[in-house]
Amino acid sequence: MDEGNSIIYGLEHQTRALSPQYGESDAIRFLIGTQSLKPQTNQVHVVELEEDTGALHTKVFKHDIGEIWHLRCSPHDVATLVTTHNAYDPNTSQCTMGVSIFKLPTVEVIPKELDDLSAIQGRNPENMEHLKTITPEKPDEEIRCAEWHPTDRNRLGVVYEGSVAVHDVSTGAVAAVAAPDGRARLKLTTGKWNPHQGHTQFAVLQDMHIKCFDTRMDCTKPSWSIDNAHKQLARDLDFNPNRQFHLASAGDDAALNIWDYRNGREPIFSRTDHSHWVWTVRYNTYHEQLLLTGSSDARALLTAAATICQDEDNTSPPQVLEDGVLQSYEQHEDSVYCCEWSASEPWTFASLSYDARLVLSRVPRHFKYKILL
Amino acid sequence: MAEQNDNGDNPLNIDGNNFNADTYLECIMKHATLKQVMDKEAEIVTQSQFLQSEMQTLVYENYNKFISATETVRKMRSDFKIMQEEMNKLSDNMNKITSFSAQISESLKESGSNVSRLCNTRQLLDKLQFLFLLPSQLNNAILEGRYVDAVHDYTHAQRVLQKYGNQPSFQSIQTECLEIIYGLKKTLRERLLNPETSASELAESVGLLRQLQETDSSLRDIFLNCAENRLDQHLQALKSIIENTDIIEWVEKCNNTLLADLGIIVSCYHEMFQDEDSRNVPEFADKVLFQVFHLFKEVSKRPENVGTEILIRGLDKFFRKLQAMTDIVSSDTISNKAVEVVIQCISNKATIQYQTIQTQFKESLMKVRQSFASKGSESSDLKDILNSLQVYLMQKVQASLLDLMAFLQNNLSFGLKPWCAKAVADSCWKVISETMINLSDMVKKMACLQSSNNNIPFELLLILAKLCLEMQETGVTTLHTHLIKLLEESAPGLVVESKDTNSVMVHLSTAAQSALDSEVVFIGQTAAQMLRVSVLARDWLRAPEPRGPRAVCRRVVETLASADSAASQLFPTSIKPSSDSSRRTIWSRAPSSFSPINRIFSERIEVFSPAGADRAALSNGALKVALKALVECVRLRTFGRHGLQQLQVDVHFLQQRLSCMGNDERLLNALLEDALSSAQLRCVDPQLMEPSIVDIICERG
Repeated sequence: MDEGNSIIYGLEHQTRALSPQYGESDAIRFLIGTQSLKPQTNQVHVVELEEDTGALHTKVFKHDIGEIWHLRCSPHDVATLVTTHNAYDPNTSQCTMGVSIFKLPTVEVIPKELDDLSAIQGRNPENMEHLKTITPEKPDEEIRCAEWHPTDRNRLGVVYEGSVAVHDVSTGAVAAVAAPDGRARLKLTTGKWNPHQGHTQFAVLQDMHIKCFDTRMDCTKPSWSIDNAHKQLARDLDFNPNRQFHLASAGDDAALNIWDYRNGREPIFSRTDHSHWVWTVRYNTYHEQLLLTGSSDARALLTAAATICQDEDNTSPPQVLEDGVLQSYEQHEDSVYCCEWSASEPWTFASLSYDARLVLSRVPRHFKYKILL
Repeated sequence: MAEQNDNGDNPLNIDGNNFNADTYLECIMKHATLKQVMDKEAEIVTQSQFLQSEMQTLVYENYNKFISATETVRKMRSDFKIMQEEMNKLSDNMNKITSFSAQISESLKESGSNVSRLCNTRQLLDKLQFLFLLPSQLNNAILEGRYVDAVHDYTHAQRVLQKYGNQPSFQSIQTECLEIIYGLKKTLRERLLNPETSASELAESVGLLRQLQETDSSLRDIFLNCAENRLDQHLQALKSIIENTDIIEWVEKCNNTLLADLGIIVSCYHEMFQDEDSRNVPEFADKVLFQVFHLFKEVSKRPENVGTEILIRGLDKFFRKLQAMTDIVSSDTISNKAVEVVIQCISNKATIQYQTIQTQFKESLMKVRQSFASKGSESSDLKDILNSLQVYLMQKVQASLLDLMAFLQNNLSFGLKPWCAKAVADSCWKVISETMINLSDMVKKMACLQSSNNNIPFELLLILAKLCLEMQETGVTTLHTHLIKLLEESAPGLVVESKDTNSVMVHLSTAAQSALDSEVVFIGQTAAQMLRVSVLARDWLRAPEPRGPRAVCRRVVETLASADSAASQLFPTSIKPSSDSSRRTIWSRAPSSFSPINRIFSERIEVFSPAGADRAALSNGALKVALKALVECVRLRTFGRHGLQQLQVDVHFLQQRLSCMGNDERLLNALLEDALSSAQLRCVDPQLMEPSIVDIICERG
């Protein structure tokens, strides 16, 4: 897989859910969840890229509990994942959402023997072990996403349309609830744990604003917030893995903003390179100046934000990349709702568009060398 | 040839000089026949006879002439005798005259010496009288203030007095004179130190003192000191009247007092201390003049002196005087400074001009905004507003150009100078370019503001965008050519380097672009926001059977249509493609056609892309933004059968109503198809309605 030569993997149904396998440190593995309203058709695909040969190996699992809106692998256990799903019940003519935790029977994707090979080529979906399902109190309440606690394997943050709840994984019980002011009745879009500050803060997007709540107790007041982070709806956020006060956000104004939330009036970095809403933004885990964004203009962009990653004491090496778009990945033909860096390899990433196309790409080699050398 | 030459020496040639008769004869005898000899003889005989007779006639003629000459000589001899006698008589008479005249001069000699003695005495007496009268004359002159006469008289007499000062009669006169002159010197010195004395008096006094043999160095110091004091006084006076005089009055005062005095002082100084090091003065003059320039700048900046005519007249007088001064003071810095003052006045004027234009334009924009706010934008004719703004702007700029041309009038002292013309040309261009750049900056700022808080009506953005475009296309060049024409009229023959119109145009076009983009995004987002809220808020799963397009669709259509009609007033309508296909319904496509293959053949749609400057492109831009939002929102929802059908109706309605806007039907259909097929995918029971029924519902609704 050289630069420009992305690998494309197609699925049968629409897709909106993508996650790297966080616990895995060797293989480049991504999980995809499909989104189809037809009963018994949804699947979870495990895709592994064999780095040496560039070959793609997949394994398919059944996900009969409903269409997958969001999927997240556990950072604590390679085989565990959580899906946010939705199912239609024709009898009540109602949709119900839920959050379910599954365990994969095996994490191995690349077949060891020839017999396995034929089985996989037949693509017969296998079963996953269903561990737990959490359902909202009100049956028709929508769930946005579920996020594993970064350190506590028993905690799961679930973003509902009007509140954030921290659930105990084993019992499903609610440990804490944070509900933003009900005054404006603005729904939440998504949310994420703050990897810093002792892992107690959970940041959510509410309309155009970013709000962060302390999850140690129930609360309505955010511990900090960035109001009007975007001129339109904010769609996604990601925390800088290294700098504790930096986070990136993306939204319907086609902008990628980076904030120091201690001073949230003006972004410290802002680019408007997409030509439609930006649905997702991700920091590279190893190289914080690399950011990945996916947009409904059917593009994934690799952007450098090197200037704000300079340390003030000048101990860090001089800036090597120009700020701005490094590479535009145009292999998609529909809106890109997800893109994720690989958890094990710093230069590989996957982007997923609605028309069920997964594209595995790499950071162009000359940028890679510029950063490394 | 040789033969001919030989003829002269040939002894055989009878006419030659070396003719030898024997040889000839011999030759004839040898060569000729008898007959020929006989003939020759006869010929020679006749020739000899002819020569004989000719000689005789010549002798007779000469003899006659000789006789007459002899007679004439004889006659002359008798005449000379008479002459001799007359001459003798004349010399006798002359001798007599000489003796008489000697007698007369002898007798007159005595009286002549008498007369000359009398003349000498008379002169001496005159001098003596002058000396005796000198003290009283000096006194009179001093009393009457005729110091010059007094000093003149004294210097005349001085020499004599010094020579004969020992004699007692003169001694008293001398002491008296010295006393008087001492007094005079004192008064002159007093006058020097007196601040009331004018500069000319001052110069005069110093001149006189100098004649009275005062030492130079002290005199010069005193002179310069006094002069400086005086000029300082003038400066103070001028400073104090800045507040309450207009520029002409001020300049007149300045010319008549300070500059006039300075001129006198400097010229006197040069006259008197010519031989010495005269660097002192220009330095001193420079110092004073710089202060004057400073004051003049202050004066010219006062609000009541802003009027061009008054400013120019004042400036003209000032410059004229300064030019006159430079002849006297002969300092380069001063003439440079004078030029600089004029240039600065011109550029100040230009700055004021474009600043006024900007504020006035802002005011008129405010009025437009107010009228939008009060009347509502539908009733206003955007074209009219655009025209009035444009004409207003152009007229203002042209008026200020014309105003600046006043600096080039022929009758002005600086009017015909090339540097002045260049300054005017530069300033004029500055007015044009600054006005345009201000305009574009303002438009850009408004476009930026627009996206953050939307209290600027989008019609205004359209108008401003159009205004910028018009300025870019025609305005700038019109003004530029206008400027060149004006310059040609005012200063013919001036070579003006052509100005960089491109950068101004770039400014304008980027401003126009940002205004258009902002307008498109604003309209699109307004519609998109309506669609988004309506799609997200509705329960599509349990929606009732559709009865007509939802109200929000009408509002979206209205919003887009009002923007379209506003755009149509200002931007040319491009030719629309035939609308036959616009009635094509789009639900014939099966949901399975929602596949990547279909998308491969359709172009990527850039939603937030730069808007083109025509009505269709603007509408396309807004449509894209609105409908793409619809697609994305639909994908976030789950639809029941009726919900899907409701959306089908909505999409059909939108297609019908929006196909008249923009010119890219493919784009409209692609987006609406996308919305509908996305809804089909998100539907639990995807059954579409019959197209005919949708039609009916749409008509009814």
